[in-house]
Amino acid sequence: MSVKNEKRLKHQLAELDELIAWFDQDDFDLDEALEKFDEGVKLAESIKQRLKKLENKIIILKQRFDQPNSEAE
Amino acid sequence: MEETILSVSDCIALINQTLEYAYPIVTVEGEVASFKVSKGKFIFFDVKDDEGVLNCFMMAYGLRTPLEDGMRVRVLAQPRLTAWGKFSLTVRDIRAVGEGSIKRSFELLKAQLDKEGLFDSNRKRPLPTMPERIGVIASVESAGYADFIKILQNRWGGVEVEVADVQVQGMRAGMQIINAMSHFNEHRKPVEVLILIRGGGSAEDLAIFNEEPLVRAVAASRIPTLVGVGHEVDVSLCDLVADVRAATPSHAAQLVVPDRQALLNELSEKERHLVARLHQHVQHYTVQVNKTTERLLSHIHHVLVTQLHHVEYSWQILKQLDPKTVLRRGYSLVRASHGVLVRKAADVREGDTLTIEVEHAIIQAGVKNVRKK
Repeated sequence: MSVKNEKRLKHQLAELDELIAWFDQDDFDLDEALEKFDEGVKLAESIKQRLKKLENKIIILKQRFDQPNSEAE
Repeated sequence: MEETILSVSDCIALINQTLEYAYPIVTVEGEVASFKVSKGKFIFFDVKDDEGVLNCFMMAYGLRTPLEDGMRVRVLAQPRLTAWGKFSLTVRDIRAVGEGSIKRSFELLKAQLDKEGLFDSNRKRPLPTMPERIGVIASVESAGYADFIKILQNRWGGVEVEVADVQVQGMRAGMQIINAMSHFNEHRKPVEVLILIRGGGSAEDLAIFNEEPLVRAVAASRIPTLVGVGHEVDVSLCDLVADVRAATPSHAAQLVVPDRQALLNELSEKERHLVARLHQHVQHYTVQVNKTTERLLSHIHHVLVTQLHHVEYSWQILKQLDPKTVLRRGYSLVRASHGVLVRKAADVREGDTLTIEVEHAIIQAGVKNVRKK
Protein backbone atom coordinates (compact mmCIF):
# COMPACT_ATOMS: atom_id res chain seq x y z
CA MET A 1 0.00 0.00 0.00
CA SER A 2 1.52 3.24 -1.08
CA VAL A 3 1.77 6.42 0.93
CA LYS A 4 -0.68 8.01 -1.48
CA ASN A 5 -3.30 5.35 -0.79
CA GLU A 6 -2.70 5.64 2.90
CA LYS A 7 -3.28 9.37 2.68
CA ARG A 8 -6.51 8.68 0.92
CA LEU A 9 -7.59 6.58 3.88
CA LYS A 10 -7.05 9.46 6.29
CA HIS A 11 -8.84 11.75 3.89
CA GLN A 12 -11.74 9.30 3.54
CA LEU A 13 -12.13 9.01 7.31
CA ALA A 14 -12.27 12.79 7.60
CA GLU A 15 -14.83 12.91 4.79
CA LEU A 16 -17.01 10.33 6.54
CA ASP A 17 -16.91 12.30 9.78
CA GLU A 18 -17.97 15.41 7.88
CA LEU A 19 -20.91 13.56 6.37
CA ILE A 20 -22.00 12.31 9.77
CA ALA A 21 -21.72 15.81 11.18
CA TRP A 22 -23.95 16.99 8.32
CA PHE A 23 -26.61 14.47 9.37
CA ASP A 24 -26.42 15.68 12.94
CA GLN A 25 -27.33 19.24 12.07
CA ASP A 26 -30.99 20.23 12.39
CA ASP A 27 -31.64 21.98 9.15
CA PHE A 28 -31.39 19.75 6.13
CA ASP A 29 -33.00 18.75 2.91
CA LEU A 30 -34.37 15.22 2.53
CA ASP A 31 -33.32 14.76 -1.09
CA GLU A 32 -29.81 15.86 -0.23
CA ALA A 33 -29.89 13.58 2.81
CA LEU A 34 -30.65 10.54 0.65
CA GLU A 35 -27.73 11.37 -1.63
CA LYS A 36 -25.41 11.94 1.30
CA PHE A 37 -26.60 8.75 2.96
CA ASP A 38 -25.66 6.71 -0.13
CA GLU A 39 -22.35 8.49 -0.26
CA GLY A 40 -21.70 7.81 3.43
CA VAL A 41 -22.48 4.11 3.24
CA LYS A 42 -20.29 3.68 0.14
CA LEU A 43 -17.47 5.57 1.82
CA ALA A 44 -17.66 3.47 5.00
CA GLU A 45 -17.62 0.26 2.95
CA SER A 46 -14.66 1.42 0.90
CA ILE A 47 -12.70 2.30 4.06
CA LYS A 48 -13.50 -1.12 5.52
CA GLN A 49 -12.22 -2.87 2.41
CA ARG A 50 -9.09 -0.74 2.42
CA LEU A 51 -8.44 -1.41 6.11
CA LYS A 52 -8.68 -5.15 5.57
CA LYS A 53 -6.08 -5.03 2.83
CA LEU A 54 -3.45 -2.77 4.47
CA GLU A 55 -0.02 -4.31 4.99
CA ASN A 56 3.08 -3.01 6.75
CA LYS A 57 6.43 -2.79 5.07
CA ILE A 58 9.35 -3.50 7.40
CA ILE A 59 12.81 -2.42 6.28
CA ILE A 60 15.77 -3.39 8.44
CA LEU A 61 18.51 -0.85 7.73
CA LYS A 62 21.75 -2.41 6.58
CA GLN A 63 24.12 0.09 8.13
CA ARG A 64 25.77 -0.47 11.49
CA PHE A 65 25.80 2.31 14.01
CA ASP A 66 29.26 1.97 15.55
CA GLN A 67 30.40 5.23 13.98
CA PRO A 68 28.63 8.55 14.19
CA ASN A 69 26.67 8.69 11.06
CA SER A 70 27.37 8.21 8.02
CA GLU A 71 25.22 9.31 5.21
CA ALA A 72 21.64 10.09 5.89
CA GLU A 73 19.74 8.94 2.83
CA MET B 1 74.16 -9.18 31.48
CA GLU B 2 75.05 -5.72 30.36
CA GLU B 3 73.53 -2.95 32.34
CA THR B 4 71.25 -0.65 30.27
CA ILE B 5 71.04 2.89 31.47
CA LEU B 6 67.79 4.60 30.68
CA SER B 7 66.74 8.21 30.94
CA VAL B 8 63.80 8.82 33.29
CA SER B 9 61.41 9.47 30.43
CA ASP B 10 62.63 6.42 28.51
CA CYS B 11 62.15 4.37 31.66
CA ILE B 12 58.57 5.68 31.98
CA ALA B 13 58.00 4.98 28.26
CA LEU B 14 59.36 1.45 28.63
CA ILE B 15 57.17 0.71 31.62
CA ASN B 16 54.16 2.09 29.78
CA GLN B 17 54.98 -0.04 26.71
CA THR B 18 55.21 -3.13 28.89
CA LEU B 19 52.01 -2.26 30.63
CA GLU B 20 50.23 -1.66 27.32
CA TYR B 21 51.46 -5.00 26.01
CA ALA B 22 50.52 -6.93 29.13
CA TYR B 23 47.35 -5.09 30.14
CA PRO B 24 46.00 -2.99 27.29
CA ILE B 25 42.72 -2.62 29.18
CA VAL B 26 41.79 -3.67 32.68
CA THR B 27 38.36 -3.85 34.24
CA VAL B 28 38.45 -2.89 37.89
CA GLU B 29 35.61 -2.80 40.34
CA GLY B 30 35.77 -0.69 43.48
CA GLU B 31 34.39 2.21 45.43
CA VAL B 32 34.80 5.82 44.32
CA ALA B 33 36.71 8.16 46.62
CA SER B 34 38.13 11.69 46.34
CA PHE B 35 36.02 12.43 43.26
CA LYS B 36 36.76 15.85 41.76
CA VAL B 37 36.29 17.70 38.49
CA SER B 38 39.05 20.04 37.46
CA LYS B 39 38.40 23.04 35.20
CA GLY B 40 35.16 21.37 34.12
CA LYS B 41 37.16 19.12 31.80
CA PHE B 42 39.23 16.65 33.79
CA ILE B 43 38.01 14.16 36.32
CA PHE B 44 40.18 12.68 39.05
CA PHE B 45 39.11 10.07 41.54
CA ASP B 46 40.28 6.93 43.30
CA VAL B 47 38.83 3.46 43.24
CA LYS B 48 39.47 1.58 46.39
CA ASP B 49 38.69 -1.51 48.34
CA ASP B 50 39.64 -2.45 51.89
CA GLU B 51 43.23 -3.05 51.01
CA GLY B 52 44.18 -0.80 48.15
CA VAL B 53 43.66 2.43 46.23
CA LEU B 54 44.13 3.25 42.52
CA ASN B 55 44.22 6.76 41.05
CA CYS B 56 41.94 7.29 38.07
CA PHE B 57 41.78 10.00 35.44
CA MET B 58 39.25 10.66 32.69
CA MET B 59 37.90 13.42 30.46
CA ALA B 60 34.63 14.90 31.68
CA TYR B 61 32.84 14.30 28.36
CA GLY B 62 33.43 10.56 28.74
CA LEU B 63 31.36 10.44 31.93
CA ARG B 64 27.97 8.93 31.19
CA THR B 65 26.49 8.76 34.63
CA PRO B 66 27.02 11.06 37.59
CA LEU B 67 29.50 9.82 40.17
CA GLU B 68 30.09 10.63 43.76
CA ASP B 69 32.17 9.26 46.57
CA GLY B 70 31.02 5.98 48.01
CA MET B 71 29.49 4.68 44.77
CA ARG B 72 30.46 1.25 43.59
CA VAL B 73 31.75 1.34 40.02
CA ARG B 74 33.21 -0.84 37.31
CA VAL B 75 36.01 0.92 35.46
CA LEU B 76 37.34 -0.01 32.03
CA ALA B 77 40.77 1.58 31.91
CA GLN B 78 44.27 1.69 30.55
CA PRO B 79 46.98 1.44 33.26
CA ARG B 80 49.61 4.09 32.86
CA LEU B 81 52.59 5.60 34.60
CA THR B 82 52.45 9.41 34.38
CA ALA B 83 55.38 11.70 33.59
CA TRP B 84 55.42 12.50 37.30
CA GLY B 85 55.94 8.88 38.19
CA LYS B 86 52.45 8.28 39.51
CA PHE B 87 50.56 5.19 38.58
CA SER B 88 47.08 5.93 37.28
CA LEU B 89 44.20 4.38 35.34
CA THR B 90 43.07 6.30 32.26
CA VAL B 91 39.37 5.55 32.27
CA ARG B 92 37.70 4.58 28.96
CA ASP B 93 34.37 3.69 30.42
CA ILE B 94 32.84 3.71 33.85
CA ARG B 95 29.50 2.67 35.17
CA ALA B 96 27.84 2.26 38.50
CA VAL B 97 27.33 -1.30 39.70
CA GLY B 98 25.16 -2.68 42.45
CA GLU B 99 21.62 -1.58 43.10
CA GLY B 100 22.45 1.22 45.53
CA SER B 101 25.04 2.91 43.32
CA ILE B 102 22.95 2.58 40.15
CA LYS B 103 20.02 4.11 41.98
CA ARG B 104 22.10 6.93 43.41
CA SER B 105 23.56 7.76 40.01
CA PHE B 106 20.07 7.68 38.51
CA GLU B 107 18.75 10.07 41.18
CA LEU B 108 21.64 12.51 40.69
CA LEU B 109 21.15 12.72 36.91
CA LYS B 110 17.39 12.82 37.26
CA ALA B 111 17.62 15.82 39.59
CA GLN B 112 19.98 17.57 37.17
CA LEU B 113 17.78 16.98 34.09
CA ASP B 114 14.67 17.94 36.00
CA LYS B 115 16.34 21.23 36.96
CA GLU B 116 17.03 21.82 33.27
CA GLY B 117 13.34 21.30 32.51
CA LEU B 118 13.83 18.26 30.28
CA PHE B 119 10.87 16.43 31.86
CA ASP B 120 8.44 19.36 31.54
CA SER B 121 5.06 18.42 30.18
CA ASN B 122 5.03 21.41 27.82
CA ARG B 123 8.01 19.90 25.98
CA LYS B 124 5.96 16.81 25.11
CA ARG B 125 4.82 16.59 21.51
CA PRO B 126 1.83 14.50 20.45
CA LEU B 127 2.45 11.46 18.26
CA PRO B 128 0.85 11.36 14.79
CA THR B 129 -2.50 9.53 14.87
CA MET B 130 -2.00 7.40 11.76
CA PRO B 131 1.71 7.47 10.96
CA GLU B 132 2.78 6.38 7.50
CA ARG B 133 6.50 6.11 8.27
CA ILE B 134 7.99 5.19 11.61
CA GLY B 135 11.55 4.61 12.77
CA VAL B 136 12.38 1.86 15.26
CA ILE B 137 15.63 1.54 17.21
CA ALA B 138 15.94 -1.95 18.67
CA SER B 139 17.85 -5.17 18.56
CA VAL B 140 16.03 -7.21 15.91
CA GLU B 141 17.01 -10.38 17.76
CA SER B 142 15.31 -9.29 20.98
CA ALA B 143 12.00 -10.48 22.36
CA GLY B 144 10.97 -6.85 22.85
CA TYR B 145 11.31 -6.17 19.12
CA ALA B 146 9.40 -9.37 18.25
CA ASP B 147 6.57 -8.31 20.60
CA PHE B 148 6.48 -4.84 19.09
CA ILE B 149 6.29 -6.11 15.49
CA LYS B 150 3.69 -8.74 16.37
CA ILE B 151 1.35 -6.21 17.95
CA LEU B 152 2.00 -3.70 15.15
CA GLN B 153 1.09 -6.30 12.50
CA ASN B 154 -2.03 -7.36 14.40
CA ARG B 155 -3.28 -3.85 14.90
CA TRP B 156 -2.58 -1.93 11.76
CA GLY B 157 -1.18 -1.85 8.23
CA GLY B 158 0.11 0.49 5.58
CA VAL B 159 3.07 1.68 7.64
CA GLU B 160 6.62 1.80 6.40
CA VAL B 161 8.78 0.73 9.35
CA GLU B 162 12.50 1.52 9.21
CA VAL B 163 14.44 -0.46 11.76
CA ALA B 164 17.90 0.43 13.03
CA ASP B 165 19.33 -2.79 14.43
CA VAL B 166 21.51 -1.90 17.44
CA GLN B 167 22.80 -3.49 20.58
CA VAL B 168 20.60 -2.63 23.53
CA GLN B 169 22.99 -3.66 26.28
CA GLY B 170 26.71 -3.68 26.78
CA MET B 171 29.45 -1.15 26.27
CA ARG B 172 28.61 -0.24 22.67
CA ALA B 173 24.85 -0.01 23.10
CA GLY B 174 24.60 3.62 24.20
CA MET B 175 26.77 4.87 21.37
CA GLN B 176 24.98 2.76 18.75
CA ILE B 177 21.59 4.03 19.86
CA ILE B 178 22.81 7.65 19.81
CA ASN B 179 24.19 7.13 16.29
CA ALA B 180 20.92 5.56 15.16
CA MET B 181 19.02 8.51 16.62
CA SER B 182 21.17 10.94 14.63
CA HIS B 183 20.72 8.79 11.52
CA PHE B 184 16.95 9.20 11.73
CA ASN B 185 17.15 12.87 12.71
CA GLU B 186 19.45 13.74 9.84
CA HIS B 187 17.43 11.81 7.27
CA ARG B 188 16.27 13.91 4.33
CA LYS B 189 12.83 12.37 4.56
CA PRO B 190 12.40 12.01 8.34
CA VAL B 191 10.08 9.41 9.80
CA GLU B 192 7.07 10.75 11.70
CA VAL B 193 7.86 9.10 15.00
CA LEU B 194 10.95 7.47 16.47
CA ILE B 195 10.47 4.47 18.72
CA LEU B 196 13.15 3.16 21.05
CA ILE B 197 12.39 -0.27 22.46
CA ARG B 198 14.00 -2.88 24.63
CA GLY B 199 12.45 -5.72 26.56
CA GLY B 200 12.90 -6.35 30.25
CA GLY B 201 16.24 -6.94 31.94
CA SER B 202 18.17 -6.40 35.14
CA ALA B 203 18.82 -2.91 36.48
CA GLU B 204 22.35 -3.16 35.08
CA ASP B 205 21.06 -4.23 31.64
CA LEU B 206 18.73 -1.25 31.53
CA ALA B 207 21.31 1.17 32.92
CA ILE B 208 22.28 2.49 29.47
CA PHE B 209 18.84 4.10 29.21
CA ASN B 210 19.87 6.24 32.18
CA GLU B 211 23.17 7.36 30.68
CA GLU B 212 23.41 11.09 30.18
CA PRO B 213 24.49 11.22 26.50
CA LEU B 214 21.66 8.89 25.42
CA VAL B 215 19.06 10.63 27.58
CA ARG B 216 20.10 13.98 26.10
CA ALA B 217 19.98 12.56 22.55
CA VAL B 218 16.40 11.40 23.12
CA ALA B 219 15.48 14.80 24.58
CA ALA B 220 17.05 16.58 21.60
CA SER B 221 15.35 14.52 18.88
CA ARG B 222 13.62 16.64 16.26
CA ILE B 223 11.34 13.70 15.56
CA PRO B 224 8.75 12.96 18.29
CA THR B 225 9.94 10.06 20.42
CA LEU B 226 8.21 7.06 21.95
CA VAL B 227 10.28 5.06 24.40
CA GLY B 228 9.27 1.61 25.62
CA VAL B 229 11.99 0.09 27.74
CA GLY B 230 11.81 -2.82 30.16
CA HIS B 231 8.70 -3.79 32.02
CA GLU B 232 5.94 -1.61 33.34
CA VAL B 233 7.74 -0.98 36.64
CA ASP B 234 11.01 0.12 35.02
CA VAL B 235 11.14 3.86 34.48
CA SER B 236 14.29 5.05 32.75
CA LEU B 237 15.43 8.62 32.24
CA CYS B 238 14.94 8.03 28.49
CA ASP B 239 11.28 7.32 29.31
CA LEU B 240 11.03 10.57 31.21
CA VAL B 241 12.47 12.78 28.46
CA ALA B 242 10.59 11.02 25.64
CA ASP B 243 7.51 12.69 24.20
CA VAL B 244 5.50 9.60 25.07
CA ARG B 245 6.42 6.77 27.40
CA ALA B 246 5.25 3.23 26.77
CA ALA B 247 5.32 0.73 29.61
CA THR B 248 6.63 -2.09 27.39
CA PRO B 249 7.53 -2.66 23.71
CA SER B 250 4.04 -4.17 23.13
CA HIS B 251 2.48 -1.11 24.68
CA ALA B 252 4.60 1.06 22.35
CA ALA B 253 3.01 -0.70 19.35
CA GLN B 254 -0.43 -0.03 20.83
CA LEU B 255 0.36 3.66 21.26
CA VAL B 256 1.86 4.24 17.84
CA VAL B 257 -0.87 2.86 15.56
CA PRO B 258 -4.65 2.66 15.80
CA ASP B 259 -6.36 -0.70 16.12
CA ARG B 260 -7.77 -1.88 12.79
CA GLN B 261 -10.51 -3.94 14.47
CA ALA B 262 -11.55 -1.05 16.70
CA LEU B 263 -11.69 1.22 13.66
CA LEU B 264 -13.76 -1.34 11.75
CA ASN B 265 -16.18 -1.51 14.67
CA GLU B 266 -16.26 2.25 14.81
CA LEU B 267 -17.07 2.34 11.08
CA SER B 268 -19.96 -0.08 11.54
CA GLU B 269 -21.15 2.11 14.40
CA LYS B 270 -20.96 5.15 12.13
CA GLU B 271 -22.97 3.35 9.46
CA ARG B 272 -25.62 2.47 12.03
CA HIS B 273 -25.66 6.06 13.16
CA LEU B 274 -26.19 7.22 9.57
CA VAL B 275 -29.12 4.83 9.12
CA ALA B 276 -30.64 5.91 12.43
CA ARG B 277 -30.28 9.59 11.61
CA LEU B 278 -31.79 9.14 8.16
CA HIS B 279 -34.67 7.14 9.63
CA GLN B 280 -35.21 9.80 12.26
CA HIS B 281 -35.30 12.56 9.65
CA VAL B 282 -37.67 10.57 7.39
CA GLN B 283 -39.96 10.03 10.37
CA HIS B 284 -39.83 13.68 11.18
CA TYR B 285 -40.81 14.49 7.57
CA THR B 286 -43.60 11.88 7.63
CA VAL B 287 -45.07 13.40 10.77
CA GLN B 288 -44.90 16.84 9.17
CA VAL B 289 -46.59 15.62 5.99
CA ASN B 290 -49.29 13.82 7.99
CA LYS B 291 -49.98 16.91 10.05
CA THR B 292 -50.23 19.09 6.95
CA THR B 293 -52.53 16.57 5.24
CA GLU B 294 -54.75 16.45 8.30
CA ARG B 295 -54.96 20.21 8.40
CA LEU B 296 -55.78 20.33 4.70
CA LEU B 297 -58.49 17.66 5.02
CA SER B 298 -60.04 19.38 7.99
CA HIS B 299 -60.11 22.64 6.06
CA ILE B 300 -61.75 20.96 3.05
CA HIS B 301 -64.29 19.33 5.36
CA HIS B 302 -65.14 22.66 6.90
CA VAL B 303 -65.63 24.28 3.48
CA LEU B 304 -67.79 21.39 2.33
CA VAL B 305 -70.00 21.50 5.42
CA THR B 306 -70.48 25.23 5.04
CA GLN B 307 -71.36 24.79 1.39
CA LEU B 308 -73.76 21.98 2.21
CA HIS B 309 -75.53 24.12 4.76
CA HIS B 310 -75.81 26.84 2.21
CA VAL B 311 -77.27 24.46 -0.38
CA GLU B 312 -79.67 23.05 2.17
CA TYR B 313 -80.87 26.52 3.11
CA SER B 314 -81.31 27.48 -0.55
CA TRP B 315 -83.17 24.28 -1.12
CA GLN B 316 -85.56 25.06 1.72
CA ILE B 317 -86.16 28.50 0.26
CA LEU B 318 -86.68 27.03 -3.19
CA LYS B 319 -89.02 24.45 -1.77
CA GLN B 320 -91.18 27.18 -0.24
CA LEU B 321 -91.40 28.80 -3.64
CA ASP B 322 -92.45 25.68 -5.47
CA PRO B 323 -96.13 26.09 -6.73
CA LYS B 324 -96.77 22.47 -5.77
CA THR B 325 -96.02 23.36 -2.13
CA VAL B 326 -98.59 26.11 -2.41
CA LEU B 327 -101.15 23.66 -3.89
CA ARG B 328 -100.45 21.29 -1.00
CA ARG B 329 -101.46 24.04 1.36
CA GLY B 330 -104.91 24.18 -0.37
CA TYR B 331 -104.37 26.95 -2.90
CA SER B 332 -105.34 26.42 -6.57
CA LEU B 333 -103.98 27.52 -9.88
CA VAL B 334 -106.70 28.85 -12.21
CA ARG B 335 -106.01 29.04 -15.93
CA ALA B 336 -108.19 30.48 -18.69
CA SER B 337 -108.93 28.43 -21.78
CA HIS B 338 -105.76 29.55 -23.51
CA GLY B 339 -103.70 28.36 -20.54
CA VAL B 340 -102.91 31.81 -19.09
CA LEU B 341 -103.11 32.11 -15.30
CA VAL B 342 -106.12 34.10 -14.20
CA ARG B 343 -104.96 37.11 -12.20
CA LYS B 344 -107.59 39.83 -12.85
CA ALA B 345 -111.21 40.25 -13.98
CA ALA B 346 -110.22 41.03 -17.55
CA ASP B 347 -108.62 37.60 -17.98
CA VAL B 348 -112.03 35.85 -18.03
CA ARG B 349 -115.52 36.34 -19.32
CA GLU B 350 -118.79 34.81 -18.35
CA GLY B 351 -119.25 31.44 -19.98
CA ASP B 352 -115.50 30.71 -20.27
CA THR B 353 -114.24 27.32 -19.20
CA LEU B 354 -111.49 27.49 -16.55
CA THR B 355 -108.98 24.82 -15.67
CA ILE B 356 -108.44 24.64 -11.90
CA GLU B 357 -105.41 22.79 -10.59
CA VAL B 358 -105.38 21.58 -6.96
CA GLU B 359 -102.88 19.27 -5.29
CA HIS B 360 -104.31 16.06 -6.56
CA ALA B 361 -106.78 17.09 -9.31
CA ILE B 362 -107.42 19.12 -12.42
CA ILE B 363 -110.96 20.48 -12.53
CA GLN B 364 -112.76 22.04 -15.50
CA ALA B 365 -115.33 24.73 -14.41
CA GLY B 366 -117.55 27.31 -16.08
CA VAL B 367 -117.53 31.10 -15.29
CA LYS B 368 -120.88 32.38 -14.17
CA ASN B 369 -120.05 35.88 -13.16
CA VAL B 370 -116.99 38.20 -13.16
CA ARG B 371 -116.55 41.34 -11.15
CA LYS B 372 -113.65 43.36 -9.91
CA LYS B 373 -112.53 43.18 -6.29
